[in-house]
Amino acid sequence: MHEKLRNSLIPALLVCCFGLLMSACAAPSAPATQSAGETDAAASTASEETSDGATRVVVAQSVDLDTLEPYIISSRPGTNIYGHLFVTLYQDPGTGELLPYAAESYTENEEGNELTFKLHEGLTCHNGEPLTAEDVVYSFQRAANPENAFTGHVAGYVLDALGYVDARVESDLEATVILEQFNPLAIGLISDVWLLCKDTYEELGLEGASTQVVGSGPYQFVEWVKDDYLLLQKWNDFTLSSPFFDEIEWKVIPESSTRTAELIAGNVDIITNVPPDQHDAVNNSGKAAIEGVAGTRRIYVGFNQRDIYDDTEGGRAIKDPAVRVALQYAVDVPTICQTLLAFDCERASSMVNPPNDNPNLEPYPYDPEMAEKLLDEAGYPRGDDGVRFDIVFQAGQGRYLNDVAVVQAIAQYLTDVGVNVDLQIMDFNAEFVPALRQHDVGPLYFVGTGGSTWSGISDVADISEPQGSTNYTEWNNPEWFTRWSELSGTRDPERQRELLNEMLEIFYNDPPWLLLYFQPDFYGVSDRLDWTPRRDEVINLTNATLSQ
Amino acid sequence: MGNYLIRRLLQTVIVIFGVTLLTFFSLHLAGDPTLLYVSERASDAEIAETRAKLGFDKPLSRQYIDFVTNAARGDFGNSLRTRTPAFDLVMERLPATIELTLFAMFVAIVFAVPIGILAAMNRGTALDGGVMLFAMFGQSMPSFWLGIMLILIVGLRLGWLPISGHVPVLQPLFEGHFMVAFENIPGAINHLILPGVTLATFSLARNARLIRSSMLEVLSQDYITTAKAKGLRTWTVVGRHAFRNALIPFITIVGLEFGFLLSGVVVIETVFSWPGVGRLVFNSINQRDIPVVQSAVIFFSLLFVLLNLLVDLVYTTLDPRIRLS
Repeated sequence: MHEKLRNSLIPALLVCCFGLLMSACAAPSAPATQSAGETDAAASTASEETSDGATRVVVAQSVDLDTLEPYIISSRPGTNIYGHLFVTLYQDPGTGELLPYAAESYTENEEGNELTFKLHEGLTCHNGEPLTAEDVVYSFQRAANPENAFTGHVAGYVLDALGYVDARVESDLEATVILEQFNPLAIGLISDVWLLCKDTYEELGLEGASTQVVGSGPYQFVEWVKDDYLLLQKWNDFTLSSPFFDEIEWKVIPESSTRTAELIAGNVDIITNVPPDQHDAVNNSGKAAIEGVAGTRRIYVGFNQRDIYDDTEGGRAIKDPAVRVALQYAVDVPTICQTLLAFDCERASSMVNPPNDNPNLEPYPYDPEMAEKLLDEAGYPRGDDGVRFDIVFQAGQGRYLNDVAVVQAIAQYLTDVGVNVDLQIMDFNAEFVPALRQHDVGPLYFVGTGGSTWSGISDVADISEPQGSTNYTEWNNPEWFTRWSELSGTRDPERQRELLNEMLEIFYNDPPWLLLYFQPDFYGVSDRLDWTPRRDEVINLTNATLSQ
Repeated sequence: MGNYLIRRLLQTVIVIFGVTLLTFFSLHLAGDPTLLYVSERASDAEIAETRAKLGFDKPLSRQYIDFVTNAARGDFGNSLRTRTPAFDLVMERLPATIELTLFAMFVAIVFAVPIGILAAMNRGTALDGGVMLFAMFGQSMPSFWLGIMLILIVGLRLGWLPISGHVPVLQPLFEGHFMVAFENIPGAINHLILPGVTLATFSLARNARLIRSSMLEVLSQDYITTAKAKGLRTWTVVGRHAFRNALIPFITIVGLEFGFLLSGVVVIETVFSWPGVGRLVFNSINQRDIPVVQSAVIFFSLLFVLLNLLVDLVYTTLDPRIRLS
């Protein structure tokens, strides 16, 4: 009897342990995320009212902020959050035009290198400190101060691209930004410079600014639990707009399938970068849908023109513009988009994002016979083995949407017209990027480069010098660069448009890129939310509302 | 014993030195970290300027010597991404990782022991076969796949448990918020089960097999037959004579278990969006945030080595015949 009892002890123990775990499952659920000491600070009920009646929208992005210091922020998820925390002088609403924001207007001096902005009256930071011209000047000077050694988007890119020299106060509400010379992209670049209040940030110091945020935008900072979430609350004293949602919770969920599961479970409202294989799960959930948008990132195959490839057949071949044009006909881009990217994209006709591209240029059609004919005419007939020439094609892995599948498809299309492609897949960060920076990839290479909707000039600026850092092909068409020199100094919009159209025609007929597509971006959006994604990867929730 | 301890501690220093050397140079072998801190449109001058700001313009050997010298003084440098002390970042994330690892260890040990003993005592039966089948599956399934399956089935379809997130217990405890820590326990367990079970499954399966085989070996010893012949009850024979001796190989594994589970949290924390050291290290490797990676690796190497030492010391308690020399 006793022995039987004892023999049953072990299974009973097992059952008890299991029962304990299961009972934990049934225990009242605590908030999904919270900071120590604040147990219900981040109770997540996406798009619904929180316990205090506030409306909240929950966005899941893949990476967290590194710090709260505004001028170290460099990632897109980071700039998405900070776009709600801070105002800028002008803003890019994603519609192709730049609109006044903290500034009412601006004027230029005769040379065009001094831009004077007039601020709206009554602006303040979230602690009540008035936002004046002095703060605008301080913001630029703080970002540019080499002692601060900032490497973020504003300090590490915008100010350099702007040709920023200094800033000065003209009056309480007027500040002047001084540039090296006239820059046609100035207003667009300035639209990325967040405005900080001087006294507040001087008091915080660099150390304080990395742990606290005092913003100037439509939402104020509430709390940040690293690698977990960041909570913003609507700032009711903001006078430039009035967003619908009282709170925005930015969750960090690195794994795409987990983001998708949270969206379907109703715990988040917007998820980013949804891979094509998860679209059906979202669309069939009855709770959310995939919103696809042709992004501004230009995906292309570069024809590297450097002499170091002259000792290869392929390297020599692609120096001939006729060969580069011929290869445009060899790749079926719409089919690649439909089958590999789950998106009906239109092939790019130039390096400039619509609507700023040249409307007279038609995308090259898929016509392998034409490609073969042009290659024959260019002096590259098929040999006995059916091969016209051998060429190396290099690509990084894991950076762009379905990149490996796309480059394999391109390699096959090229092989079909007799180009024997040696496809080399590399680690993106460790191998490909360092080689790309040195212009040492290719002769064929696959890459995507960011673009914009607000200016065609911004997009063509990639090729501003024959050996420029982003002219990875080192393409050197004198007609292009003559026009670029004029374009970068031209202030007349009509002349700018003419020059841009001419440049894009040159690009079309002597293409340094095998033109592909603008990379689609996929968002999962809850049915409860009324929000339209933008083309430029920016998530702006100031105009989001609940669905009717 | 004293000499043994001194020798082991000296070995620890050599191990840690080797770890820093390997980590430092392998991170630099993976490309120029500067390129991750500049815009894709940055000019050569901007890249050079950023390289200097980050301190990567010095010769590699100089950078390494500086790092080791400072680390010996307890200064692991500042994170390149956050500009805050790298070691503090690791310590901030540590409580969440400890919670997950301890929970997984609990599952892997507490369930493995009875399962292994049951299988050994019922050798050749359907129960034994079932346990072995479970063990085979448990050791074969990749943890990221198992995690995603649990999310889809238990979290999403059945809706029994949260899909991702974390409710802290240790952190409020360390900060002196005892009531908060206590109130958070149910929620914490709720959030721990899916990642904890995912992390523990491999170890649970392996431990169950180990206990079973170890028990089978001990149960066939003459002294067990003698104990049975003396009329001792089955539970006394198993619990007092067999199990204790079967524990020696298991303790070795348990000692290494913590380190093994810590290596697994990198994947699990990413899948379940768990804000621990694993994710910090994963992100830091991607961003080539060398001071943070170094801090985490050195800390965990030290922990691993000390745990091994502890295991060796526990041997002598479990089996007085073992002498450390």
